[in-house]
Amino acid sequence: MTPVGLQHYLVLAAVLFSAGLCTMVVKRNAIGILIGAELLLNAANINLLAFSKYSAGTLDGAILALFVIVLAAAEVAIALAIFLNFYSRFASVDVDRGDQMRG
Amino acid sequence: MTALDLQALLPLVLTTATAIAVMIAVTITRRHGLAAWLCAAGLAAAIASIASARECAPRHISDLLVIDSFARFYSGLILAGSLVVAVLSYGYLKLRTDRHEEYYILLPLAAVGSLVIVCSANLLAFLLGLELLSICLFALIAYRRTGRGDLEAAVKYLILAGASSAFAVFGAALIYADRGSLAFGPPGLALSSPVALAGIAALLVGVGFKLALVPFHFWTPDVYQGAPAPIAGFIATVSKGAVFALALRYLSTENLLADGRIIWLLTAIAAASMLAGNLLALRQDNVKRMLAYSSIAHVGYLLIALLASASLGRPAAAIYLTAYFLASLGAFGVVGALSQPTRDADALADYRGLAWRRPFLAFTLTAMLLSLAGLPLTAGFVGKLSLVFSGVSSALWLLLSALVLGSVISIFYYLRLLAALFATPPASEPAISSPNTPWPTTAALLFLTVALLAIGLWPAPLLDLIQKMAVAAW
Amino acid sequence: MTLLYLILIPLLAGLAAWPAARVAPRAARGLCLAASLAQLVIAAILWQNTPTTGQWIETLSLPWIPQLGITFSLFLDGLSLLLILLTGLLGALAVLASWTAIRENVGFFHFNLMATLAGVTGVFLARDLILFYVFWELMLVPLYLLIRIWGGDRRVYAATKFFLFTQAGGLLLLLGILALAITHQRQTGTLTFDYLQLIGTALSPSQGVWLLLAFLAAFAVKLPALGLHPWLPDAHSQAPTAGSVVLAGLVLKAGGYGMLRFLIPLFPQAFPTIAPAAMALAVAGILYGAALAFAQDDLKRLIASSSISHMGFVLLGVFAANELALQGAVVVMIAHGLTTGTLFALAGAIDERLHTHHLDRLGGLWTDMPRMGGVTLFFVLAGLGLPGLAGFVGEFLVLLGAWQTSPVLAALASAGLVLSVVYSLRLMQRVFLGPKVGEETPRDLSAREWLMLSVMAAATIWVGLWPQRVLDASAPAVQNMQKSLSDAAGAPEARP
Repeated sequence: MTPVGLQHYLVLAAVLFSAGLCTMVVKRNAIGILIGAELLLNAANINLLAFSKYSAGTLDGAILALFVIVLAAAEVAIALAIFLNFYSRFASVDVDRGDQMRG
Repeated sequence: MTALDLQALLPLVLTTATAIAVMIAVTITRRHGLAAWLCAAGLAAAIASIASARECAPRHISDLLVIDSFARFYSGLILAGSLVVAVLSYGYLKLRTDRHEEYYILLPLAAVGSLVIVCSANLLAFLLGLELLSICLFALIAYRRTGRGDLEAAVKYLILAGASSAFAVFGAALIYADRGSLAFGPPGLALSSPVALAGIAALLVGVGFKLALVPFHFWTPDVYQGAPAPIAGFIATVSKGAVFALALRYLSTENLLADGRIIWLLTAIAAASMLAGNLLALRQDNVKRMLAYSSIAHVGYLLIALLASASLGRPAAAIYLTAYFLASLGAFGVVGALSQPTRDADALADYRGLAWRRPFLAFTLTAMLLSLAGLPLTAGFVGKLSLVFSGVSSALWLLLSALVLGSVISIFYYLRLLAALFATPPASEPAISSPNTPWPTTAALLFLTVALLAIGLWPAPLLDLIQKMAVAAW
Repeated sequence: MTLLYLILIPLLAGLAAWPAARVAPRAARGLCLAASLAQLVIAAILWQNTPTTGQWIETLSLPWIPQLGITFSLFLDGLSLLLILLTGLLGALAVLASWTAIRENVGFFHFNLMATLAGVTGVFLARDLILFYVFWELMLVPLYLLIRIWGGDRRVYAATKFFLFTQAGGLLLLLGILALAITHQRQTGTLTFDYLQLIGTALSPSQGVWLLLAFLAAFAVKLPALGLHPWLPDAHSQAPTAGSVVLAGLVLKAGGYGMLRFLIPLFPQAFPTIAPAAMALAVAGILYGAALAFAQDDLKRLIASSSISHMGFVLLGVFAANELALQGAVVVMIAHGLTTGTLFALAGAIDERLHTHHLDRLGGLWTDMPRMGGVTLFFVLAGLGLPGLAGFVGEFLVLLGAWQTSPVLAALASAGLVLSVVYSLRLMQRVFLGPKVGEETPRDLSAREWLMLSVMAAATIWVGLWPQRVLDASAPAVQNMQKSLSDAAGAPEARP
């Protein structure tokens, strides 16, 4: 049995990234889209940590991953506040309800 | 960290302190005027600190930030832009019945994010600044919560900005894999490896989104339309200016323009932005959407400076951006000044006969539009002249033809608005009965107009400053 | 500094007239009239004191944008001087012609009018190429506003079309100027936009042709040459009287002036390669313009279309490029400015009385306005080239010069003269002769109109009878063009 190496992490990250992207494109529910965005960031985080351990050998990647976790939390906080307002106005979190602007 | 480091960091420190001061003031007493003036005073102090620290040599502060004259110039531009937005916002928010004070916490924080972007010497700092800017903008775009448009705009911006910054983080991870560090430079990114190339491409998605370049521009018209007019001005100028400065620095520290594929890609993006932005603006009856599309084209023009030789391209970019800041902020300022409490004055019909109803606002808007169109005796002409000069000098004929074509198209829609301004006033009531302009708004617009014309008439001092500051090697 | 005053006088008068009109519109009009006359007088004094040696009567150079090698430098030679005289005269005519016609926003109107005149003056004086471009674009905005605000029913369309065409040509000119200066910088190491230094920049044949075409694009739009003319009938017919006078009399001349001033001296090698095609285009324009004029049923559109035909002679003269033809082109510009400018003023006077310039709604005006009829006949005859009046001298010289280069084209161009008789007489017949249309009995010329028309008539007769003074004034410029052409033809192939 081969030990877990860089490749495995990269494949996992790639799968997560694709899943996140698909979620963002397909979902119409705002919360679902937000989850997709989180998946994207987590895919990036896994990459950062894997490279930090296996190829770069510096801690830069790990530090950035920590920051990304914090930033993602902040983003979600604001996002949820906006979605709450959206919900109270449209009685739904379906983003297609916001279709005022065209052209 | 030494005292000199601290002095170099002073603009950042003061801007952050401004946000904290407003926050404390808000907990003590809720007064719109107090919050606004604290914010404006803090930003003004930050600008003053840049001017006083002009003699400092480039300083690296930890591995994250570098404060050199390039960063100082763009910091000054960002802070001045934020200050104008703060003053314009005061008049804009005054008419609206809601709590305004938190707005003046978010605005300096967004400015801090932009400052971090222009000072960053490391992808980590860049991503931090980018996210700080984005998160503040989500809240600022949705700030009014009165119309349907603003929440919709905020949701759109939120989703797309979230996705694009995830791309940027992913790109940073790939670049990190290639070189083992997140710091910019020295040049040596192995562009032959697919990992590094994919990293650059993913980073480009993040940058291209903030710059609203084709094909990452879809959010622009909706967000500009839905956001409060001063914030639309902020997104068009400060946020774009900061990211553009970063792109300029990154491309040259990594020497990415030595690679033919990247030149080709940027050329294609620039030409597409100029043409698509201008063509899409043609059909707009909504002034904010029209300005949004025109801003796409303007960043397309700016890429000429990015692709031209550094010695001419960098000053050209700085001049063009300065002129663009003045004209865009002025145009959105007029839109804001005409807006009613319930809706922004964004229909073309709102502007019919403005020259006879509100001569000052009409004159200001005329000057701004002429500058955006690049006509002489406005700052826009000096910008366009330097830009075309750098382009001709580097023989970028394809981009220059796109610029000429785009400019001619743009004349058409700028003239549409201009023609509306001077329309014979209708006999009936005007479509929009705009409130009186508060004096801070008038002062800000006057400042922008005077600066615009002064630079157009006598650009030598600005060019000197730019030669000294914005061109420095790093 | 005299040159600076020539530009500042109209500009400052316009700035002062804007607020002055709030107090007394008459004061604003008087101020602008005085400024135009002052310009005329200064130019006349300069003419009297013309030095006998050298091309340049006066030059001026002030620093402007040193970082880009741009200076605020002006110069004046006989060619510029003639056009400045024309500017002063037509400026006064434009103010007088709108004396009673403009009642709304008098101050802003005069500001725009005078700003246009200042821009035109600057174009005729600029020595730095970027400064030339600045003035070139500068006259655009006030003229746009003149048409947009005070124009006819389709003014927005006409004004936008005018702006778009000119701007498109202008941007190519800017590219051309920058490319020329950068080539010069690579050869000599100094970045300059000074006309006198850029002359003699060595260009490879293909470079020369491209740059020449870029310059020509801007000038051919303004002139206008056939194919680039669609803006002209709309702009002229929709503009207010003063706007039409300035457009036809001066703005079109800016195109002709640009050709004379820049094309030959800057690109003597490339010039002959373009010349045959340009001459053919000119002749086509002469014939097309005349045919177009015949087909119009609007008085102002008719006069405007005839301009295309007349300006074709300028293009023909410039590209025939011998001394006779170049001198002829200069005289055609002056003569066309005097006659067509006045014809537009007359059309404006008719419009003011009868509120139409449609030929179907005009007719038999001679009975009520014999004096106006007589004056119009005079200027129509001057326009179609009656010997003894201004138009004859210029077109005759151009034809003589063109005959030396290409007899066929000269013969075709003279057919344009015959056509001009046809459309001119049609104009007289439809407007003044024939049965009377409408009930009104318009009053004949007022004292103010008599004054302005008789001055213009005197100038027309003077240029027609004693063209030598005009020819003398432009001779040094024309001889220098001849010299640079023959130098270039004699010189070996330019360095790439």
